[in-house]
Amino acid sequence: MRFILVDRILSLHAGREIKTVKNVSMAEEYLADHFPAFPVLPGVLLLEGLIESASWLVRETEHFAHSMILLTQAQNVKYRSFVRPGRQVQYTVQAKSIEDSVSSFFGFGESEGERIVEGKFGLRHFNLADQNPRMADVDAGITESMKQRCKLLKNFEPKTEN
Amino acid sequence: MAMSRDEILRQVQTVLVDALGVDTDEVTADATLMTDLGAESIDFLDIVFRLEKTFGIKIAREELFPAENLISNSELVSNGKLTAKGLAELKTRMPHTDLAAFEGNPDINRLGDLFTVNAIVRFVENKLSKSG
Repeated sequence: MRFILVDRILSLHAGREIKTVKNVSMAEEYLADHFPAFPVLPGVLLLEGLIESASWLVRETEHFAHSMILLTQAQNVKYRSFVRPGRQVQYTVQAKSIEDSVSSFFGFGESEGERIVEGKFGLRHFNLADQNPRMADVDAGITESMKQRCKLLKNFEPKTEN
Repeated sequence: MAMSRDEILRQVQTVLVDALGVDTDEVTADATLMTDLGAESIDFLDIVFRLEKTFGIKIAREELFPAENLISNSELVSNGKLTAKGLAELKTRMPHTDLAAFEGNPDINRLGDLFTVNAIVRFVENKLSKSG
């Protein structure tokens, strides 16, 4: 299965905040072991949802300037409850700062009115070509796929561009 | 030679600081592993391994955190809450936890609240006194 932990972008205010959604499905392979009779989305994947949401905010804010966006640190992450298949997690991620190569955020996830996860975290953004100019094509390929995926996540309407 | 509770707490604090990347002053006796210290499934495995090494004890899978087995059994859980039988089973399997607050609303989503630093200290104390 593909490693995508956010299904839809509900709203995005460049430089400031993004809201996204992840639907939890019985079909997610890791649920078979986590746990066999009590499937719940693993905590690390709740954190991944926050990270992916923040990454989309960075990409849009910097107009897809960098192909690579990675986590540098996560602090005070708290797991308050579980999310089972058939439920939805709504993520809200607020930017504390977005600079050229680093950014920091506070984010939380809620499901059915209950806080599920929250935490502070930082990302770094770069292009592979920064270290190795021959990787510029790889950067371009990644950037193009990210632009396409972003359109899908925003349920892009050809008539009215967001 | 019996280790004092304070010494056990000190070493449990070190285990949790190393496993979870939190500061020592966050690891208070009442702190819950999941909500206060940010532990999740992978961390529990790490914590069990570190406790075994620190205290020279063997901890069987499901012994420290038996919640998964409990939740699987339909006689013990109904409508997302532990039944009376489930609560009794929990008391037997987790004597190191404080069930007073949990019994009022035995919602399985709140099982995580039982895993406090104190619960781990008591668990280690019990293990050490049994092995002499």
